[in-house]
Amino acid sequence: MSDDSSQAGMDRRKFLTVLGASGGGALALSGCSTSRVEKLVPYLVQSEDQIPGIATWYASTCTECSAGCGVHVRTREGRAVKLEGNPEHPVNRGKLCSRGQASLQGLYNPGRIKAPMARGADGRLAEITWDDAIARLAGKLTAAGGKVAVLSGAGRGTFSELLADWTGALGGRLVRWEPFDHEPLRAANRQVFGLDQLPAHDFASAKYILSFGADFLETWLSPTENQRGFADAHGFAQGDVARFVHVGPRQDLTGLNADEWLAVSPGTETVVALAIANVVAAAGGAPAALVGALAKYTPAMAAQETGIPAARIERIAHEFAAAKPSLAVAGGIGAQHAGATELCAAVNLLNFVAGNVGHTVRFGADLAAGDGYHALAQLGTAMGGGQVSVLIVHEANPVYALPRAAGFADRLKKVPFKVAISPFLDETAALCDLLLPPHHALERWDDAAPRAGVRSLMQPVMEPVYTTRAAGDILLATARKAGGALARFNAPSWEAHLRGRWQALAAERKEADADAFWHAALQRGGVFDEPPTPAAVTLAPTATQVSYTRPAFEGKGNYVFAAYPHGMLHDGRGANKPWLLEVADPVTKITWNSWVEVGPEAARALNVRNGEILRLTSPHGTLEAPAYIHPGLHPDVVAMPIGYGHTEYGAFAQGRGVNALDLLGAPAGEFVTYVSTRVAVEKTGDYRKLATVEGTPRQLGRGIAEAIPLAAARKGLTLAEAYLQEGHPEHELNTPLEVQALKGWSEKQFEMTRKGDYARTTPQWGMAIDLARCTGCQACVTACYAENNIPTVGEYDILKGREMTWMRIERYWEGGEEPGVPPSARFVPMLCQHCANAPCEPVCPVYAAYHTADGLNGQVYNRCVGTRYCANNCPYKVRYFNWYKYNEIAWPEPLQLQLNPDVTVRARGVMEKCTFCIQRIRGAQNQARLEDRPIRDGEFTTACAQACPSDAIVFGDTGDPESRVVAIKQDPRGYRVLEDLNTRSAITYLAKVLHSVEA
Amino acid sequence: MMRTLAFVLGGVGAAGLAAVLAISGTPTQAQQQAKATADSTTAPAIVDTGSLKGPRQPIFFRHDIHAGQLKMQCQYCHYSVAVSTEPGIPSMQTCMGCHLVVSGSDSSAKTEIKKVRDAWNAKQPVEWVRVHFLARHAHFPHQRHIKALGPSACTTCHGDVARMPQVFKVNNVNNMGFCVTCHLERNVSRDCSVCHY
Repeated sequence: MSDDSSQAGMDRRKFLTVLGASGGGALALSGCSTSRVEKLVPYLVQSEDQIPGIATWYASTCTECSAGCGVHVRTREGRAVKLEGNPEHPVNRGKLCSRGQASLQGLYNPGRIKAPMARGADGRLAEITWDDAIARLAGKLTAAGGKVAVLSGAGRGTFSELLADWTGALGGRLVRWEPFDHEPLRAANRQVFGLDQLPAHDFASAKYILSFGADFLETWLSPTENQRGFADAHGFAQGDVARFVHVGPRQDLTGLNADEWLAVSPGTETVVALAIANVVAAAGGAPAALVGALAKYTPAMAAQETGIPAARIERIAHEFAAAKPSLAVAGGIGAQHAGATELCAAVNLLNFVAGNVGHTVRFGADLAAGDGYHALAQLGTAMGGGQVSVLIVHEANPVYALPRAAGFADRLKKVPFKVAISPFLDETAALCDLLLPPHHALERWDDAAPRAGVRSLMQPVMEPVYTTRAAGDILLATARKAGGALARFNAPSWEAHLRGRWQALAAERKEADADAFWHAALQRGGVFDEPPTPAAVTLAPTATQVSYTRPAFEGKGNYVFAAYPHGMLHDGRGANKPWLLEVADPVTKITWNSWVEVGPEAARALNVRNGEILRLTSPHGTLEAPAYIHPGLHPDVVAMPIGYGHTEYGAFAQGRGVNALDLLGAPAGEFVTYVSTRVAVEKTGDYRKLATVEGTPRQLGRGIAEAIPLAAARKGLTLAEAYLQEGHPEHELNTPLEVQALKGWSEKQFEMTRKGDYARTTPQWGMAIDLARCTGCQACVTACYAENNIPTVGEYDILKGREMTWMRIERYWEGGEEPGVPPSARFVPMLCQHCANAPCEPVCPVYAAYHTADGLNGQVYNRCVGTRYCANNCPYKVRYFNWYKYNEIAWPEPLQLQLNPDVTVRARGVMEKCTFCIQRIRGAQNQARLEDRPIRDGEFTTACAQACPSDAIVFGDTGDPESRVVAIKQDPRGYRVLEDLNTRSAITYLAKVLHSVEA
Repeated sequence: MMRTLAFVLGGVGAAGLAAVLAISGTPTQAQQQAKATADSTTAPAIVDTGSLKGPRQPIFFRHDIHAGQLKMQCQYCHYSVAVSTEPGIPSMQTCMGCHLVVSGSDSSAKTEIKKVRDAWNAKQPVEWVRVHFLARHAHFPHQRHIKALGPSACTTCHGDVARMPQVFKVNNVNNMGFCVTCHLERNVSRDCSVCHY
């Protein structure tokens, strides 16, 4: 939704201050739910805010990672059906990543623990009542005599405060931990700036971005916010384009968006950062001590360590220094080896000498983080030493997310009484004695303080799916039962406690009316202050203690093993959500199972092809997985995503692939080193076809994902003009005579096909997609799955090419084959092009595929007899056939509750495809008709355009000359895919802008 | 197309007539007479509910009394029909709004109203049997039809519910021909994707 229409959008979204829970928990009728309704069951008491058939929206906060994005939850007839970003929220500004959207599948996950459970004498878990469960916990806590520990994955907020007080009252210890906790970055910030903080990063205003391994578009700090900023900086806007250089051993999604890649072996990123800092510092302005400290890290030294020519490093350093402001970031697998703190310190200095601190690197924002692995390791030691009698694990899964060699499971077993406050039966919960299932974030009151100036609220958007309780209520009920030291936690309920905290907050902020403050915050999604002025930062005395230790990796193998977080599954927490398993990994396009990446050189050396199973052996274990040849991988490295190989965690996750962490040793330092061992790689001789949704990995001259050099784009040249200017001979393009002849033919052909069409007075829907902004993140794909009830078909059917992804991101490799041509990739969102001259339409024998009056390529499910002629004739491969009764099997109970009641769930034998979210078009038309007005531009948009964190997709009426989509379609970079087929598609792509070295 | 659907009211009503109601097409003179008679009289007492058309409901809720005799507006209960795709089914609270006070004039009414009160007290909503279905792949926005045809347009599809002691299906609303006939007559969109998506 565009900014200019936010007012209109807000009309649609009714926010409630109080959940309208009906007394008897009765569900409302629904005219169009998933199973045939034979009874109409009324509400006992109708909430005034619930109108059947009209969505009710609630503001809440995403809890899928620590970024704390604001969400709007769409509910229909009392159940949540979709998550979208909250446009008012300062973190994500209306956008939401795939993982955030898939939070819905956590709510309705079949693997949720349905009621409290306790391990009986026979060692099996059996359901018990909540009263019994609370009594058991209270009893154990009373008897523990302070030997209590709590491990929590909760972010900063009122619950965390309560948990800390509660644990403190028991005399216990609290560890707040989540994987990838940015420990090296915080350590480096302490060392260089004396600040134990995570700063905010302003990608949007950076004119030059240097990333040392940081996967800031995927998992690093605040991915949605980063992506929005990155698209603003790196997209082509008024000729101003930031250059982005990626330094690291692997091109992840972030790396594939870079204009230049410095392929360095793991651990040597540091010396590159120091050399660049050295050049920038020497240019002047930096404190002498710093210049001295950096002096020995010359580009020549870096060249020696990395094999990157010194001149190249110097060039980048000069470019970096010249662009003001610039931004350097370190993270991802760049900051997950033993020398990670050195790297982060080097990058801190680089930002400092380039004058970025206080501009693009903003301390004072104080992003939330946990206590770090160090605290968890200490807890583990205490557990192993018998100093913990009762351990409560709250929403954390260390048994899976730590390397097995760290021995957490064994230490856990030494704790006499283990309690899991976990919504899912994960690896950790499976070892516990008492399971207390908490409410999902969408079922409870809560708040989050992900950074300074942001206090974000959560509210229950529906009745709980199962017999669960808010974790806060579990603490308070236990306190009531146990009494003693806990007696002071006497709030009648968690909600009351939270309200009390917000009353205090209102008083702190000198709000006159605490209730009005609360209601306004609830409506808005929280209280959002202006971002704090960046704290004045000075160098700490230890800042000059920069160092570079040549990396050393454990073991003897030929390859360094890099385990990296999967873009969809993160640390493995996404592995129970079918959307995240089915929406492919953005780099490899592999779904549902593990793979191991090898570089092209390694593949040649090993004589391995895609799908051949490799055995990796490290000093700590052996894993087997099919190979995927990744053109953007350093020759010395093999890489594997983290997130698969669960032994528990529900039917979707269990027994799927291997856990990459099994090859790692016990973390030796303050953080988990995901790049720490060498592995020996050998072929097993077995083969397993990769379940990839990729077709042909390269464009082969088809001109699907076009690009234009920056200089040509600045001049406003079209693709053809730029092509000629590059020195290509004119005869490769059509001559003016040929163009004229083709035009005549195509017009005639188009006229023939239009016979019988409606008069075109209605809107003509169309779309523009800016490939200079698109990063390939696939938030749009997940949004499409959510909006359009697209079934996930599973690995077996994907292997047969039966995926149903109405929208997909095609990733085409460029270069990387011959020496001197570095590998890169282009991403192009591919969906039904809604061709005005559609090849699918005339071949349908039953007129199921036809052209609507408003310019859509319609697909009438009830006409379709499943000949599949249309799919055969579609040059874009965007039509998908229901081979099975996915409508019955794709959403196991209670996952079917996520279905959008506005969209038909297709049955077996029916062809389906992107509809341009026709249900949204019709909904907007219905509303406009009620108000006797035409549809306003930007009043609604498609699910993909709404979700896109880069704002790359714009949808609208191409018949309205004032519309935003028409303005964008006139960009000289515009082209239509396979235009020469005369399909006259409704989607205009704007070519990617290549910011190559020469530009 | 002239379709005459008739039902005979069991027993003898206040007017002592067997009403024959034409639901679609041009009403005949006799039918108009019957309509006029019905408008000016109270709803008939019904002895033999077993012979009524339509599915038997858990409570013998009489549209002919509420909408016919008492002339309550359809939208009093079906509150969202003018704003939403869904017409809305009244909550139990809506029933109790009147039936806290109104307890019925005869024994059969008293029996049925007691069922409503019992359900309310037990916090158990009544499970009505659905009469009108639309296939899952067809979307019918009620609000647009009310907007175009006016607040009394319900009868166009649902028949003269105000004269039905027990609601039954007059038109096969799930038959696309029924929709298209009307759309043809009024020359409004017959585009498939207006309803099917």
